Amino acid sequence: MKLNRRQFLESAGIATAALAAWKIPKGVLASPAPAASKVATDLPGSLGAKEVPSVCEMCFWRCPIIGKVKNGRIVKIEGNPKSPTNGHRVCARGNSGIQLIYDPDRLKYPMKRVGARGEGKWARISWKEALDEIAYNMEKTRKKYGPSSLALFDHGASAEFYRQIFKGMGTENYTNEPAFFQCMGAVSLAYVMTYGYKIAERVDMSHSKVMLFFGTHLGENAHLAQVREYVTGLQNGAKLIVVDPRFSAPANKADIWLPIRPGTDTALLLAWINYVIQNDLYDKEFVQMHCKGFNELKEGVKGYSMEWAARICDLKLHDIKKAIDMLAASRPHVAIHSGRHSAWYGRGDVQRHRCLAILTALFGAVAVPGGIYFPTSVDLGESDCVECEAPEDVEEPETSLKDNYPFASYFGSPTAEIIRATRTGKPYPIKLWGIAGVNIIHTISNPYETMDALRKLDFVFSIEILPTESATWADIVLPEANYLERYDKVYVNHDLTPYVTVRQPVVKPLFEAKSPFWIAREMAKRLKLDCFHCKSEEEYLDEELEDIDLSLAKLNKEGGLVRLKGHPYRDPNKPIKFSTDSGKIELFSGSFDDEDMDPIPKFEPILAPPKGYARLVYGRVPTHTFSRTMNNLWLHNECPEPMLWLNKEVAEKMGIKYGDRVVIVNQDGYRSANLVKVKVTPGIRPDTVYLPHGFGSRSPLLTKAYKQGVSDQFLITRYILDPFFGGSSHRTDFVKLIKDGKTLDIPELRPVPPEIPRFEIKKV
Amino acid sequence: MSQYAMVIDLHRCVGCHACALACRAEWNVPVPYHRSWVEDLGPEETSEGLSYTFFPAMCNHCDHPVCVEVCPAEPIEKEFRDPKTGKTIKMAAKATYKNPINGLVLIDKDRCLGCGACVDACPYGARYLDDTLDKPKADKCTFCVERLEHGEVPACVKTCPVDARIFGDITDKDSEVYRLVHKEGAKSLTSKEVNIGPNVYYLGKKKDIELLFKKCAPHKRTWENVKAPSRRDVLVAAIKKIRDKV
Repeated sequence: MKLNRRQFLESAGIATAALAAWKIPKGVLASPAPAASKVATDLPGSLGAKEVPSVCEMCFWRCPIIGKVKNGRIVKIEGNPKSPTNGHRVCARGNSGIQLIYDPDRLKYPMKRVGARGEGKWARISWKEALDEIAYNMEKTRKKYGPSSLALFDHGASAEFYRQIFKGMGTENYTNEPAFFQCMGAVSLAYVMTYGYKIAERVDMSHSKVMLFFGTHLGENAHLAQVREYVTGLQNGAKLIVVDPRFSAPANKADIWLPIRPGTDTALLLAWINYVIQNDLYDKEFVQMHCKGFNELKEGVKGYSMEWAARICDLKLHDIKKAIDMLAASRPHVAIHSGRHSAWYGRGDVQRHRCLAILTALFGAVAVPGGIYFPTSVDLGESDCVECEAPEDVEEPETSLKDNYPFASYFGSPTAEIIRATRTGKPYPIKLWGIAGVNIIHTISNPYETMDALRKLDFVFSIEILPTESATWADIVLPEANYLERYDKVYVNHDLTPYVTVRQPVVKPLFEAKSPFWIAREMAKRLKLDCFHCKSEEEYLDEELEDIDLSLAKLNKEGGLVRLKGHPYRDPNKPIKFSTDSGKIELFSGSFDDEDMDPIPKFEPILAPPKGYARLVYGRVPTHTFSRTMNNLWLHNECPEPMLWLNKEVAEKMGIKYGDRVVIVNQDGYRSANLVKVKVTPGIRPDTVYLPHGFGSRSPLLTKAYKQGVSDQFLITRYILDPFFGGSSHRTDFVKLIKDGKTLDIPELRPVPPEIPRFEIKKV
Repeated sequence: MSQYAMVIDLHRCVGCHACALACRAEWNVPVPYHRSWVEDLGPEETSEGLSYTFFPAMCNHCDHPVCVEVCPAEPIEKEFRDPKTGKTIKMAAKATYKNPINGLVLIDKDRCLGCGACVDACPYGARYLDDTLDKPKADKCTFCVERLEHGEVPACVKTCPVDARIFGDITDKDSEVYRLVHKEGAKSLTSKEVNIGPNVYYLGKKKDIELLFKKCAPHKRTWENVKAPSRRDVLVAAIKKIRDKV
C-alpha cells in the first residue's frame, strides 16, 4: 500500500472514497454570534473576566478552551461552551495551565551553554546571536557531514514549523516524532493496513452496548472527550470488559476484568477470533461484502483454542468465554477500543492491534453507532505559506535509517536508529540535533543511550518552555511561547461531532518567549530557505481557512469554533471503497505479505520475567501529562510523586507493607535514583509491578519536580525494536526491589507455561 | 428555608481531580490548602469484590455545623434576604454561620479571628487556616456562593468532565438532588458517632460506597474537645506573628 507520510498521518486525506469532503454550506454562519459577556474585573473569582477562545495543550487531546483574563493576567481556563466534545469542561491539567504560563522556572531568554552538557548552566544571549549560531552550525554540519547529519525530534502542534526547516535542509531525519516511535506507531499502522485510515481512537463508546479495553485506562488517562464518551456509554447501560494486569480505574467500572499475563494479549485475541469464526458469531453479510481474506484468516487462527489461551494468558476459561459471548451478542454495536500507546513489547505490537482491528471487522462494528467510525473529511485550504521543499541536488544517504523497517517511511526515521547512528557514526554520522517540545530523555527507551548520544554531538539546540532535562543538554536553548501565548495551525476535529477551531494568544508572550512560527521563519531567513511566505500568523491562518469559507475574524465572531456536520456512519445499503490496496477491509494484509511479514497475525511469545523478577509496566495519572507537568505548582501539589503498585500476596511474602519505601533495580543493574512508596494492593498481578510515568526529573532547574518521585523511564533500558517501523518497546524490563539495603526477590506465584521462554540475565 | 446540596455520582467519577483544580483556580486557593480535594481509595477487597474508587471531598454545609458552634466570635445581628421572595430574616451570626435562607455555612472574613477552632472542630477536615495571610483566616468551600449570586453553578460542577456533580436545593422536591437522595439512595458520609447532617451525598456501586464509608466516614467527635482561645489570645498571637515577620 503506497501512501506518503502526510496521507498516512492526516486521516482526512485518506478517508474512504465514499465520504465527500466537507465544505461549509452557505448560510451556516448565519447563526447569531454569542452575546459578548460583560467584562467587569471587580467581580469575585473569574466572574466578569474578558474571554478569549483558544485550544488547550496541557496534553495533546487539544480541547477547545476559553482563557479568562483580568488586568492582563489569565485568571481561569474553562472549556469553550461551543465545543461539542468538552463544552465548558476542562480536566485537572487544563485547569492548571495558568501555572505553566506563570511558572517562575520558565525559560525566559535565549541562552548559550557555559557549563557541561546536561548541567543546565547557561548565559543569556540575544535572539539574534542565538539564531545566528544555530544557522551557522546547521550549515557547517551539513557541509561537513552531509544533510542527513542533522536530525530533529519534535512533538506537539508547533512541530510542523520546525519540521519544515529540517526538511528544507535536505535531511532524511526531519520527522522523527517520539509520539510515533515510543507511543502510537503500532496502532496507527495496524489500522491503516486493515482499514485504510488511521483510527486515532475513533471509537464510538457513547453509543455502544459493550466496550472492550486492552490496557486502555481512561480516567487515569484523562483525554477529556474520550472520557466523556466512555462514561456516557456506561450511563447508557453499556457493558465493559477490561483486559489489564492491573485493576485500573475502568476495571473498577467493568463487568468483566481479565487480569491477563502481560505479553499474551495476542493469544487471547487470536483465540477469540477463532472462537467467533468457529461458532458463527461473526457478521457474515458484512464480512462477505467488505472484507478480504476471510478464508486465510479462518485457516490461520484455527489452532488457537480458548483452553490454550486461558492457560497462556493465565485467565479463567469461563471468564474469557463470557467476555467474547457478551461482545458477540451485541454486535455490531461494540466498541473495541483501538488503544493509543502501543509501543509495549516491540515484536508483536502491530499484530496485537491488527487482531483488535480484525475482531472489530468480524463483528461488523465499522462505521455504525457504537463501533469504530469514519473521520469526517474537511478540505482545508492548502496554504503554501509554510512549505519547505528539500533542495533538488540533495543525495539520499546510501544507507537510510529506515532501510531495515519496511513501514518506517510513514513515520520518519526510527528514534532508536538516530541515537545509534549518533553514537556509532553508522550507517552515517549524525552530528546535530534540534529538539522541540519533547523531553526525549524522559520519553525514549534507554535514556542512558540518549544521553551518550547527546554527549557525542557537535551541536544541539532546544526549543522549549521549561528547562526539562533534555533542554539542559542543549548548547543553545530558545524560549518558546506556550499555548496560551501564540497561534498554531488551524485545528480540525474529524471525530463524531467535528469542528474547526484555532489556537490563539490569550495573553502576550512573557519575557522574550517567541512563537514557533516566528522562530522557524527567522531560522528559514538565515538558512536562505524560501518557505515562509506569509507576513503574519493571521495571514497564514486566513489562507488555511479560506477554502471552507472561514477566516480568523469569522471564526472569532462565532466564539472561536464552528461545528460541522459529521458523517461517521455508513449506509448499510451502499458499497464502501476502503483506501486499502484491495478497497476492502484487509483481514489478510497484502502489504504485510509483500514485505514478508505475517499477513495473518500469529502468536509470538514475549519473554517472561527471569526468576525473582517482575515485569515493570507504567501508565498515567490524571493529573499529569508525560513528564511535562510535574513542575506545575498545582499539579505537583495534587500528585508530587507516584506509588509503586505491588501485589498484596507478593508483598506479604517479601515483608513489604503499604507505604514502605524501596529502591527499584532492573535486570541491567540500573537502580531508581531514590526511594518509592509501595502501594500494596490485590489490584495487580503477582508477576507485574506498576509505576505511573514521568516523575523523578533530573533537571535541577525544575525546582518543584527535581528528584521528586521515581522515574520509570530510567528503568527502561532493555528494549526491542519493532520490525515493521522501528518503534522502541517499553514493557520489556524486569525489576526487583531493594528494602533497607537488601535486594529482595519477587516470588513467582503464577507459574509460566513452557511455551513462554524466560528472559535470561547474562552472567558477567 | 432552602438548603443547597451536592450529589457526587461515583458511577461517573473517574477520579481526575478537575474539580479540585477548578476550585483552586476560581478562588486562587494557595497551595497546599484545599477547599475541594480528591482521595484515591483502593484497590481493596470489599464484601462485593475489589473496589478502586474516589473520595471527592469538600465542606458538607451541615445541618448542625459544629464549626459554627465552636466559633468564639461575638454574635451580631445580621439581615439575610431571600432573592426569590424578597423576604428578610434577622439572625445573630458569629464569624462563621449558617445562612438561614440557603443553608450555606459561610465565613465572615472581616470578623474571623483566625483562632482555628472551627478548623479543629470539623470532623471532615474541610477547613483550613490560611497561613499565607498576614492575619490568618479560616477558609473552606462556599459552594461558590458568589457565583450562585451571579446565576453560575459552582466551579467544580462546571468543570467536571463527566457531569458527576449534581447541585441544587434539596428542599425542592422537583430538584435532581432531591430525587437522587430520596429516590436513588445517595448517602451522606456519616457514622454512628458522627452525624451532623452533611449536605454532600454520594451515589455509587455498593462496593464503592462500602469502601468510601470504611475509609472516609468520620468517627471522631472532633468538636467536643475544641477549646476556642479567647479573643485576647488570638490578638496577641496575631500581633506576635506580624512582629516576627518584620
